[in-house]
Amino acid sequence: MKKIFQLALGIITSVGGFLEIGSVTTSVQAGAQFGYKLLWPIFFGTICLVFLIEMSGRLAAVSKHTIVDALRERFGFPFFFIVLVGIAIVAFLVLVAELGGIGFALQILTGIGFPWWALPVSVVVWLLMWKGTFSLIENGASFLGLITISFVVAAIKLHPDWSGVASGLLPRMPHTDKARYGFLTVSILGATISPYLMYFYSSGAIEEEWDRSYIVMNRIIAGFGMFFGGFLAMAVLIAAALVFQPKGIQVDTFPQAALLMTTALPKWGFYLFALSMLFACFGAALEFSLAIAYFFSQGFGWNWSENLEPSKDSRFAFVYTLIILLAAIPLMLGVDPVKVTMISMALTSATLPLAIVPFLFLMNDPIYLGKYRNGWINNSIVSIVIVMSFVLALISIPLELIGG
Amino acid sequence: MSTKRFAVLSIFLALGCKSPSATEQMDSVISWIGTAGLTGEAWLRHTTPDKYTRQTLELTNKSLIDISSGLFKSLPAGIDSASLDSALTRSNEHVGLMAKLVEQKNSPDFRTLLDSLYADEKLVKQFADSVEAKDKQ
Repeated sequence: MKKIFQLALGIITSVGGFLEIGSVTTSVQAGAQFGYKLLWPIFFGTICLVFLIEMSGRLAAVSKHTIVDALRERFGFPFFFIVLVGIAIVAFLVLVAELGGIGFALQILTGIGFPWWALPVSVVVWLLMWKGTFSLIENGASFLGLITISFVVAAIKLHPDWSGVASGLLPRMPHTDKARYGFLTVSILGATISPYLMYFYSSGAIEEEWDRSYIVMNRIIAGFGMFFGGFLAMAVLIAAALVFQPKGIQVDTFPQAALLMTTALPKWGFYLFALSMLFACFGAALEFSLAIAYFFSQGFGWNWSENLEPSKDSRFAFVYTLIILLAAIPLMLGVDPVKVTMISMALTSATLPLAIVPFLFLMNDPIYLGKYRNGWINNSIVSIVIVMSFVLALISIPLELIGG
Repeated sequence: MSTKRFAVLSIFLALGCKSPSATEQMDSVISWIGTAGLTGEAWLRHTTPDKYTRQTLELTNKSLIDISSGLFKSLPAGIDSASLDSALTRSNEHVGLMAKLVEQKNSPDFRTLLDSLYADEKLVKQFADSVEAKDKQ
């Protein structure tokens, strides 16, 4: 019974915690500009993510190591340090974007500019990190994030052409704006295949003391949770394609995006969008702060657990305190979170090889996984992700310049 | 830094820093006029707060002014820039007035301005098609 409850909770939290400012912004911009044509990177990215998340959980359940622990142990500190620098810089930018997303949601609800919200929002996020436990952060934020299901309701109420939706699942090059199309593809993949999710998930498995008996549950949570989460991002894109594209609206700012559900759900659409962004970005800000703190603490071998008193893992608490404080500064100075989001999503793609290549070695190491190491299907999927991530890394920065 | 590396970097920077084409700027104009339309319709249906509506219309107003100032420098030859200028100025004035009418909660006049904005939007779209055709030549 306890396992069934954990399973349901795991799926719900995966769905509720899936959307964040990156996935919403990239999906809205893609739908507004290219209609259904960019559904395929969400679909493809979600399939890759399902496999990567399942592997992250399996590694933790079998080896009792988080990815970062295993990475440092297997490849040594110098290599780990390179990964740390790359991932930490991009994760910090994403945290800035998430805090900005909360500020923007509050701005459209209250009319008070987002820079004014940067400090209060950061204090609330920090306070929850300081006082909260892992399950409060994971489950509480994700339950609130279930409001994002309203995007699916909005998309269905707009009566999309389902054959058009189905054709959007296959890659097709547009006749115009190819650089922009490429940049958005890279950004969507960066927003979907987020390595931080893998680090967070494996750390969560250790926090919740998973063992080999959780392997089946892990598979179901990764499969259902991430797949349904991917549907939410697709719903955002479909709604944007139906609301913004016919009017030629390119969504460059957050106030424009806030109109997404006002046509389909006239009474509540505006508030549902604002609250969806508020809760989704809030949950993501907590998760990213935790992921960065986990990354540093596990990498340097410090005490770490969100379930411990801050006095018992002071360096872990210091990292998230510092990182949240630093992330608030650019927002207070008025840096546009939408621009930070688009840059950070493309950079996430660029850093994917750093995260994925060593992960493939780990997942095939009998010392860590024994008979639970990857089979050919998993290895093929990771190999595809690696090839794709190399290509993305090569093209994402030039595309950022040309098409971003 | 070698000459070759410098050249590659310069090309990337040049591409990255290139100013938007007239077609891209016209697309932005249409995007912002569309935003004003959608925002206005939502306000008339009482589905968005006054403050948000006013701020979004003011943002639209500001963005239209910014784009217009750069647009006329890059317009291709053969475009009736005087007519385009007057359509853009009129649209901008309408958006600015709409923001004020939100404050006064004056829905009937707001509706009238919104309809005028739609008429100008059609005109601007025709110009956008001409600009795109000229840019492609």
